[in-house]
Amino acid sequence: MKGIVGHAARIPAYRIAREEIARAWQTSSLAGHKRAVRFDEDALTLAAAAALDCHSSLGGAEIDGLFFASTTAPYLERSNASLIAALCDLPEKCSTLDLAASLRGGISGLRLALTGLDSGSSTTIICAGDCREAQPGSAEEMLYSDGGSAIAAGTKNVIAELIADATAYDDFFDAVRRDRDLHVTSFASKFSIDRGYIAPITEVVGDVLRQAGKSAKDIAKLAVSSPDRRAHQQLARKLGFNEAQLQDIQFDDGGITGTAMPLVLLSIALESAKPGDLLLVAGYGNGADAMLFRATDYITSYKLHSPSSVQKAVAIDYKSYTMYRRAREFFRSADQGLEISNVFYAKDEPQIVRLHGSACRHCGTRQFPVAQVCVGCNKGDGLEETPLARTGAIYTFSEDTLYPSPFPPTVMAVVDLDGGGRIYCEVVDVAPSEVKIGMSVELTPRKLKEGGGLYHYYWKCSPRRGK
Amino acid sequence: MSKSLADQVAVIGVGCTKFGENFDQSLSEMMVEAATGACKDAGVSLDDVKAAWLGTFSPSFSGGKATITLADALKFRGRPITRVENFCATGTDAFRNAAFAIAAGQYDIVMVVGAEKLRDRPVRGLQREGIHPYFEAGSTAPGIFALVANRYMHTFGMQRDTLAKVAVKNHANGALNPKAHFQMKITEEQVLKAPMIAYPFGLFDCCPTTDGAAAAILCRADLAKQFRKDFIVVRGIGLAVMSGKPYLDPTGDYLGFPSTEAAAREAYSAAGIAEPVKEVDFAEVHDCFTWTEVSNYEDLGFCKKGEGAKFIEEGRSSLQGDLPVNPSGGLKSFGHPVGATGVRMIYEIVTQLRGEAGARQVKGAKVGLAHNLGGPGAVACVVILGREA
Repeated sequence: MKGIVGHAARIPAYRIAREEIARAWQTSSLAGHKRAVRFDEDALTLAAAAALDCHSSLGGAEIDGLFFASTTAPYLERSNASLIAALCDLPEKCSTLDLAASLRGGISGLRLALTGLDSGSSTTIICAGDCREAQPGSAEEMLYSDGGSAIAAGTKNVIAELIADATAYDDFFDAVRRDRDLHVTSFASKFSIDRGYIAPITEVVGDVLRQAGKSAKDIAKLAVSSPDRRAHQQLARKLGFNEAQLQDIQFDDGGITGTAMPLVLLSIALESAKPGDLLLVAGYGNGADAMLFRATDYITSYKLHSPSSVQKAVAIDYKSYTMYRRAREFFRSADQGLEISNVFYAKDEPQIVRLHGSACRHCGTRQFPVAQVCVGCNKGDGLEETPLARTGAIYTFSEDTLYPSPFPPTVMAVVDLDGGGRIYCEVVDVAPSEVKIGMSVELTPRKLKEGGGLYHYYWKCSPRRGK
Repeated sequence: MSKSLADQVAVIGVGCTKFGENFDQSLSEMMVEAATGACKDAGVSLDDVKAAWLGTFSPSFSGGKATITLADALKFRGRPITRVENFCATGTDAFRNAAFAIAAGQYDIVMVVGAEKLRDRPVRGLQREGIHPYFEAGSTAPGIFALVANRYMHTFGMQRDTLAKVAVKNHANGALNPKAHFQMKITEEQVLKAPMIAYPFGLFDCCPTTDGAAAAILCRADLAKQFRKDFIVVRGIGLAVMSGKPYLDPTGDYLGFPSTEAAAREAYSAAGIAEPVKEVDFAEVHDCFTWTEVSNYEDLGFCKKGEGAKFIEEGRSSLQGDLPVNPSGGLKSFGHPVGATGVRMIYEIVTQLRGEAGARQVKGAKVGLAHNLGGPGAVACVVILGREA
C-alpha cells in the first residue's frame, strides 16, 4: 500500500486585517485577515517548520526523500530542499528536489513522489511554502497569504491510501512573475477563473473519479486550492459538491497560500478524516493535479504534531500596514554575516543547521556546540557528536531594546534542551510579557541575518505547540 | 612553591584624564595626558620608564589595537611595549602583567596605560566583537548581563528598586568627583522611570559609553622610597577565566560570576586576607550594570550569595558604610572606557589610600580592592593595594 504517512501545516503567527491594507491604499477591503511572515520568516522557513513537524510525527521513520516546492524560494541557485533536509538532519543519501514556478509545485511533487514509489521505498517528505508579493495596492495584496505545509508519502503506516491520480498541463497565463520581477503580475478576470482554474480542475477531478468509479457524492472532503473565495465556491457547485464536502479554505484568517495551499487543505482534511473516508485533493497552476485517497484504519493511531487548522493557531496582529511592510522589507538592506565563508559554514553546519552537540561517555553531560573537551568532567576522550532535541524549557531570558530589530524588544533566552544541552536564541511568536522562566518551547528555523549574497538561517524558539 | 607577589611592587604615580564624551581629544591625546600625569605624579621622566603595558580593547583610527598606538603618541621608542586585551578586565590585566615584570626583577620602573575612545563610533553601546555569528547572535552587553540578573531575581526574589539603590549611591559618589563622566545625583524614582534598555536594566542601571585614559607608574617596592614617602604597595592580584559563552554552559547556575570568586581567592591568598569584609577598607568594583555590583558583593565574599540586596539596602556599601564600594562613582558614574577602566580603578585606589580623594575620601582607608569583570562574566581580575604601613 502506498499513500500519505504524515502531514503538517504551518502558518505564520503574525497576521494583518485586510481592512488595514485597504486603509493604507484607500481602496475597498476584503473581509478577514491574511497571515503574513515575521521579518525572520520566508518560504523556506515556513516549509521547513512544516517539514520538521511532519518529520517528528513519523516516530523516527527513515526518510529517503525531501522535495521543496515554492514560487518564492529564497535561493534561485543553491538547493533550498537540501538546506531543509539538513535542518531536518536527514541522511546524506536522501534524495532532494526543488520544484519551482507553478502554484501546483507542491501537489505535483506529492503526485511525483507517490507514483514513483514502489513497495521497497521508504518515505519522502514533500514540503511547500510561499510568501508571494503582490503589486502594492492591488486586490492580490489582500488575497495572498503566507503559509507552509508538508505531506509525507510512504508505504508503511499509511493513513490515507492513494486510489487514483491525474494531471494535465495548460500553458495559460493568469498570474506571472518573471526572473526580474519583484511582484506577481495578475491577469485576474472571469476568463482567467474559467480557463485557468475551473477548466483544468474539472478535467483532473473528473479523470480521478472515473478511474475510481466514484462520483462527487461518494467523497467525504474535497480539498482544492483556489485563487479566491468566490471561485472556490463556484468550482464546488460546478463539480456537484455541497458545502459540507468542501474543505473550507479558512479565508477569514489566511487562505490563499500559493504553492502550500493544496497541501495545507489536505492536512486540515486529514486532521478530521475517519477510516474509510474518501479525500479528493486538487491544485491548479498552469494546469492541474488531482489525487484521490481513502483514509485507512491506521489514521486513528496517527499522532499529528500540532493542529493544522488555523482556528487553533497563535495570532499576533500587525497593527498597521507599515509594520506589515517593514517585516517584509527589513532584511533587504541588511548587510550582516560578511565574515561567514563557505569554509566556516561547511565546518559548523552540523551544529548550526543540524543542531548537533556532544554527549560525554564518562559523565553523560550533553552540550552544545560540539566540543572536544567535556564541560561536565573536563575529559577529552569521551565526547561523541549527537543530535540534540528541538524542544526544551527557558532557563533565563532577557528583553533587549538595544539590539537592532524591527520589532523591539528582542527576547533572548537560554534554553535547556530536553535530554540535555543548552542553547541561546531568540524567543518569537509570543508577547514579551508572556515569556517566563520555565516556559516550554520548541526550536524553529528562522532567517537570522542576510549579507554577503547569503541568507543565514539559525534556530529560534517559540512556545511549544505539540506534545 | 611559587613566590608571593605581595609587597614586591609599588605604585608611585597615577594619572587620569577627565572621563566623558571627550569629543575634543583623540585616543593619543588622552594617552599622553594620562601618562605624563602619572610620570609627574611619580616624579620620574618618561626616559626613566623602561617598559610599558597598554590596555585597550577596541580598534581605533590612530593605530588600531597595536602597541604602536602608545609608541607613536608618547614617542616611547626602543623599549618594550606589550598590548593587553582581556575584555573589560583589560586594564587590571595590563596592570597585573606590569607588576609581574617588576616582581620578576626585569625592570625597576614600568608604566601601565589604559585607554579607550568609544564615543567616536557610529553604534550605540559596546560593539560585541569576535562572537560566533550564529550561537551568540542577538546578544548585547546589557542583554547578556540581564540574562543572569533575571535568573538571580527569579531565584532570590530581588526587585528593581534594590537595583536602583546601586545607581543612586554611585551617582551620589560621582557627584563628588570632578573627573567623573556624570557628576549629578539621581533619585530612585528617576532610575525606575527611565527608558528600558534590557529588563531589568533601565537607562540608569547601565554604565555609559565613555572616553578616557588612565596611567600608573610601578616600581620595585624597595626602591619606592626614593620617589615618595606615601607610595602604595601591591598586596595581591588574581585573575581567572571562565567560559566566554556561559549561556551555552549546561553546568552553570547563572546566579553570579565564578570568575570573580576564583580571582578573589587568588588575590586574598596573596594578601593574607581571610575576612574580606573586615580587612578590605573600600572597593572599586565592576558595576557595568547595577545588578553586577550586587553580585560582586557576593562573589568577592563581602556577603553570602543571595544577600547582596541586603548589603546595598543597609547602606553598608555607601561612602559612610562599613565597606564603601565605588567611592569614585564606579563605572556607572565615572564612566567605562573599557581598557581604561581597570587602570582608572588603580588611580582611584591610590588617590584614596594617599588621602587625596577630597569630598569622596573614605576615612582611614588602608586597604583597597579593585575588581574588573570582562565579557559575559568570562574574565575577572582582582587587585589589592595597601598603604605602606
